[in-house]
Amino acid sequence: MTLELKELTGGYGQVSVLKKETFTVEDGQVVGLIGLNGAGKSTTIKHIIGLLTPRGGQILIDGMSLQDNVEEYRKKIAYVPEMPILYSELTLKEHINLTIMAYGLDHDKTWEKAHELLKTFRLDNKLDWFPQNFSKGMKQKVMIVCAFMTDARLFIIDEPFTGLDPLAVNDLLNIVEEKKQKGCSVLMSTHVLATVQDHADKFILLNHGQVRADGTLDELKEKFDMQNGNLDDIYIKMSNEDQ
Amino acid sequence: MTDLWKERLRRHQLDQFKYLRLIFNDNFVLAFIVLIGALGFWYSNFLDTINQVNIFGKPIVIILYWLIAQSGSVATLLEEPDSTFLLVKEKDFYDYFKAAKNYSSMLPIVTIALVGFLMSPFAFKAAGLSVLSIVILTLGVIVYKFTMINFEVFGIYGKDSFKGMSAKNWLNLLLLALLIVSTYLSSFVLVIVAVILLGVVISKSQAICESGQLQWQSAIAKENQRMFRIKRFYNLFTDVPGVNSKIRRRKWLDFLFKGIKQEQGNTYLYLFARGFVRNNEYIGLFFRLTVIQAIMLCLIDNFYISLIVEMLFIYLVGFQLKPYFKETMQNLMQRIYPVKQADKIKDFTKLSTFVLFVQWLISAFAILYKFSFSMNSLIIIAAGLAVLVFVGYFYIPRQLKKII
Repeated sequence: MTLELKELTGGYGQVSVLKKETFTVEDGQVVGLIGLNGAGKSTTIKHIIGLLTPRGGQILIDGMSLQDNVEEYRKKIAYVPEMPILYSELTLKEHINLTIMAYGLDHDKTWEKAHELLKTFRLDNKLDWFPQNFSKGMKQKVMIVCAFMTDARLFIIDEPFTGLDPLAVNDLLNIVEEKKQKGCSVLMSTHVLATVQDHADKFILLNHGQVRADGTLDELKEKFDMQNGNLDDIYIKMSNEDQ
Repeated sequence: MTDLWKERLRRHQLDQFKYLRLIFNDNFVLAFIVLIGALGFWYSNFLDTINQVNIFGKPIVIILYWLIAQSGSVATLLEEPDSTFLLVKEKDFYDYFKAAKNYSSMLPIVTIALVGFLMSPFAFKAAGLSVLSIVILTLGVIVYKFTMINFEVFGIYGKDSFKGMSAKNWLNLLLLALLIVSTYLSSFVLVIVAVILLGVVISKSQAICESGQLQWQSAIAKENQRMFRIKRFYNLFTDVPGVNSKIRRRKWLDFLFKGIKQEQGNTYLYLFARGFVRNNEYIGLFFRLTVIQAIMLCLIDNFYISLIVEMLFIYLVGFQLKPYFKETMQNLMQRIYPVKQADKIKDFTKLSTFVLFVQWLISAFAILYKFSFSMNSLIIIAAGLAVLVFVGYFYIPRQLKKII
């Protein structure tokens, strides 16, 4: 699976948050999307999953845009939002059933996967709970389960590391690694640089709605001329460029 | 402190006006005019059937007076942050509550007077009370209500229990006893006792409050509950932010979902059906309107009014289901499902048609009960079905397209 953004311009209302943003996520790559608050990370994600319509440029998944085939495009993507979004009237079990129905998945096979994931996140005994009984972290785990049990080829995770306990972060990283081995791609936006530094193949540094730099950690070190720096140092250097 | 009260009251009233305006704009008001008309019609018919004093007359009057005395409570307009920011001002709050008490007395006076007035022909005919005693009784209940409100303020200071029972319960018991004595013996008893009680309570009020401690937590919780009740009421007619509808599992209704096969085409039906059954707001609305409609149809024997009630209520339930669709569409996750837009409308139409069908069926039984099997009842039932088809297949799908 490849995701291509070509000169993407867009945003909410009249204001263009993103200005000619271009990057690619290759087959089997885990990519970290990094930037300050307001740099355009979430807006980029909303464009990719089709919640916002680009004002200019293109978004292609395996060469296909949302307009070409809405349903096929959406089937390829699974999304974990920053703030969990659940249906207050459905139990955990019903959320999984609903996702299976919405994505037209095989009921029994998917449930097998779901059970495994639920067990990993210690939710397997809470199948009949309503969202109002879950803590924020638990809700986030439900979102992760619902996303990772699908047959999507591109996984988009918005700020996955903040609400989760360290154990769950570790579990999530294992699941991401597993998907990567199967050739899926993962795009995650985050501020937790130390974690993403060790687990992503490539980084996209976003500033003012534009890609300031992208590449592996070594490539970034070269671009910013910081041979001994880590991602944190590079990030701070990029932020200081504005001043 | 009274300035604080005035400012709070101004804001509170502004809020209330905003909601009242929304309510009286809505075509839901139509239903209430019809409802009040129908009830008035029924009441006047009912009064005509009473020719002599009935032994149930006085007990009914007593119960009605007692129930109406329960309406309304102190609006303290306390807010959550008060317990942190105004903690130092605790001693000054007595004046604040005094202003609150005066304000909170107005609505109960109007309510009790109005109910007393509406009840008077019945009390006169069925209970054999003279006009003077009805006036005196109503006055007595009003004065007694002041006492009850005063005791509520004592409650804010944790001074409202006596011998292990809350003052509210004592007062209610006493009121019942006084009402019985007043209706059967002399109507002056209630008003005399009420005036004496109120005098004592007012003169001791400050001392009692100052001997206690302001119970911030419970007072704020009480006020929140009160506001929630009001807002929930408004929420029946219009969208009120901050009123989170309660969710109940209702496992016993799970059989309703059995017919919904788990396949992609049914994704939204799966969601809508469960949401409707479990969200108190929507099933409550359906339940209330259906029951009111059925009761009205059972009571009214006028063909035209029944026809209007049958058609209007089916339309209203259909109309009030729209916000539920809107609410679900606001969920971001469902917007990225690989499901066709048209499926959402199709599935919602299935739900709304089913709901209206159940309502229509219940109303049909009520009509058959009142009009038996006749041309008139068939016309009303057919008219209901026509509205159902119109709302379910034309009105709702068109409205939903605008929402998506």
